[in-house]
Amino acid sequence: MGLVKDILAMPNDSQTKTVVVASMLCLVCSVVVSTVAVGLKPQQEANKALDKKRNILQIAGMLREGASIDELFNEIEPRLVDLDTGEFVDDIDPATYDQRKAAKDPAASRALSKDEDVASIRRREKLAAVYLVREEEELKTIILPMHGYGLWSTMYGFMALEGDGQTITGFGFYEHGETPGLGGEVDNPKWKALWPGKQVYTGAGDVGIELIKGTVSGSTPDAQYKVDGLAGATLTSRGVSNLLQYWLGDMGFRPFLNKLRQG
Amino acid sequence: MDAEIKKNITDPLVDNNPITWQILGICSALAVTTSMNTAMLMSIALTAVVASSNLSISLVRNHVPGSIRIIVQMIIIASLVIIVDQLLKAFAFDTAKKLSVFVGLIITNCIVMGRAEAYAMSHPPKLSFYDGLGNGLGYSVVLLVVAFIRELFGAGSLFGVKILPLVSEGGWYQSNGMLLLPPSAFFIIGLLIWAVRSWKPAQVETPTYKIHEEVNPQLV
Amino acid sequence: MLRKLLNRLEPSFLPGGKYEKFYVLFEMVDTLLYSPAENTPHAPHARDAMDLKRVMGYVWLATFPAIFMACYNTGFQANTAMAAMGLESAEGWRGALLGGFDYDPNSFMDNFVHGLLYFLPVYLTTFIVGGVAEVVFAMVRGHEVNEGFFVTSILFSLTLPPTIPLWMVGMGILFGVILGKEVFGGTGKNFLNPALTGRAFLFFAYPAFMSGDAVWVAADGYSGATALSAVAQGGVEGILANNFTWFDAFLGSVPGSLGETSTLAILIGGLVLMYTRIASWRIVSGVMIGMVGTSLLLNLIGSDTNPMFGMPWYWHLVTGGFAFGMIFMATDPVTAAHTNTGRWIFGILIGLMVVLIRVVNPAFPEGMMLAILFANIFSPLIDYFVIQSNVKRRQKRRQALAAR
Repeated sequence: MGLVKDILAMPNDSQTKTVVVASMLCLVCSVVVSTVAVGLKPQQEANKALDKKRNILQIAGMLREGASIDELFNEIEPRLVDLDTGEFVDDIDPATYDQRKAAKDPAASRALSKDEDVASIRRREKLAAVYLVREEEELKTIILPMHGYGLWSTMYGFMALEGDGQTITGFGFYEHGETPGLGGEVDNPKWKALWPGKQVYTGAGDVGIELIKGTVSGSTPDAQYKVDGLAGATLTSRGVSNLLQYWLGDMGFRPFLNKLRQG
Repeated sequence: MDAEIKKNITDPLVDNNPITWQILGICSALAVTTSMNTAMLMSIALTAVVASSNLSISLVRNHVPGSIRIIVQMIIIASLVIIVDQLLKAFAFDTAKKLSVFVGLIITNCIVMGRAEAYAMSHPPKLSFYDGLGNGLGYSVVLLVVAFIRELFGAGSLFGVKILPLVSEGGWYQSNGMLLLPPSAFFIIGLLIWAVRSWKPAQVETPTYKIHEEVNPQLV
Repeated sequence: MLRKLLNRLEPSFLPGGKYEKFYVLFEMVDTLLYSPAENTPHAPHARDAMDLKRVMGYVWLATFPAIFMACYNTGFQANTAMAAMGLESAEGWRGALLGGFDYDPNSFMDNFVHGLLYFLPVYLTTFIVGGVAEVVFAMVRGHEVNEGFFVTSILFSLTLPPTIPLWMVGMGILFGVILGKEVFGGTGKNFLNPALTGRAFLFFAYPAFMSGDAVWVAADGYSGATALSAVAQGGVEGILANNFTWFDAFLGSVPGSLGETSTLAILIGGLVLMYTRIASWRIVSGVMIGMVGTSLLLNLIGSDTNPMFGMPWYWHLVTGGFAFGMIFMATDPVTAAHTNTGRWIFGILIGLMVVLIRVVNPAFPEGMMLAILFANIFSPLIDYFVIQSNVKRRQKRRQALAAR
């Protein structure tokens, strides 16, 4: 105790005191900060996982008032898919797989050539996390992650398909930075409600689904493949069409969906 | 003593408001005021940081060597901000996600450093704590007013609850998209300053130069 | 007669009179009708018949061809669209008022009257709402109501799309007058063009009503691309595919903002303004040079993905708000540069920016408004450097003389 008193009694500008004060302060601060960070880590991780689950449930239309998210998510089976072959990959745990990180990691992704890169994402991860919902062993819903560039930002979202991999049951973005009021209308519930029931592939097997300019009416040809464009947001609409084209095409989930359909 | 505490808390609310009078902390006021939720959380975070940083800096003020005093303040503030950030991520995840980097950026918020250097370094802990609290509340008042206007007229809601039903969702209110863009906060803060200074003319600064009088005998 | 009436009324508006507070209104009417009583009695005299009121009056007159075309073309577009959609008559009050008229796109009168019913409400709203704001500020601040507002109001309303809701018009002009002008101290002290400030406010606040394809033709549910958005989508072929020819765009029979479509009508007004030296020909030439130069450069660079790169300068000239902005907005004497060299630089900056915004920026096909506001911000800086370099040059010359 005597030592502490001696140091505190030193003039503030003495070199010893400066060094002692600085190191004591750093020590105290780092202990406090690291205790808090370590102590709260599990809680934060849980939050992150919960947030992702909620996004998935929301787009699949499975979010119900009152039910806990973890419980609802138990009905969903997360799987990893090799995008090139369309096969399931089981040696990595889908719960710990970080798809966004993988898209940036040269070892876990591939660069896209200009022709391939319809969705303007530059690199594509090798593995994608998909989410399956089964009802009595019958595949009911397939939820696919998708992202692509809009006007200002990369938009991240999910598409939910029926078990046939052809009929859309839900589509939406959970993260984007488009202009409020124009491109930002991708969040509009009315626009999202246009998606369920739309068809993905045409008879010839091409990706048919796209956004058109203006509104889809009964007289629009091939209305089952068309969704209203966003008014005044040509480039965001085009971005959405492009990312659909990409992720449902050969570079995206088509091999996987084909495999799935064959059983 | 009590009178001074009261003054420390009430003074920064209007008369000596850190945003409208000292013009500090504007940057975050632009970024986090699109909704009441984020503004509220940011206000709480900042108030907590200013109050506790003022308190802890005032506690050690007599033993801080002058040569490293700014660094000492920075370390204390930075630690507090990290703690607050971690707490928010753990207990208010949804809103904290929207605040993204702006909680971390409280470190650079001029109000915190300003109060530490201008007040806490020379005043006892209790007073410093209340001074930090008052300034945090002054910041909060402005933030909440701006967010109130922006969320209500920009998105038709308050705290995420629909107040004005939007045309795009079948209602009657045509939302004002500019209010959701950062520049609108500039306009609103500018108009607020205008309003406050019309109310309290003592705050009007003396102009840096004088414009020549208009020569019109009838109007003089 | 009138003079006597005014003289009789004057005392009650002077300080101490009954309507002291309303002096500004009296002064406005008085000086609008007669030249002001106070004039400069001592040297130096500026011998010129022009005072600010006359200047503004000329600008106002110069917009007449554009107003005329605004009415005609709005009606023409609406009637054509209605004919295409098989509609017999307009809905609501316009339909009732137009009882005696047909909706024949080939008849001049039908078009003109139909368009007038779109232009007039927009203009009246602008005038009344903005005017009230102007007068209130004049009374509180004790300055005169300035005729600049006549010009602001007409320019503002001509830049709006015909289908804009009237309450938005009111908000736009309020924003323009108050935040674009009055907060800085009124006409002469503002650094942004108030009409454009108001338009920019609407553009960012209600983008769905100020851009896109659905707002340019005044017929419900009809969407017609402007020539500019057609280029953005498919290059010059895109415009031709929409059945616009360059001559259509030059004359103004294409969809667009009320008064911005007819380059011809605008240029007529522009010639009058430049002849009377109200609009600076240096600014106008600067804008043209900047635009032509930049677009030629971009034509040369070319781009596979962006058809706008290939847009030739003569299309830039006739599309969007280019001509209107160049003649009426860029030449605003208050917010433009004040030195002659500065005017060249100011104009070129606008021409450069407008092409860059149109071509390179994906979000805003119309760049004129933003380009002019941008240059407005720079004009004091431009003037400063021009004057400084002038000062330096003269100093050098004097030193050279002294050294001899």
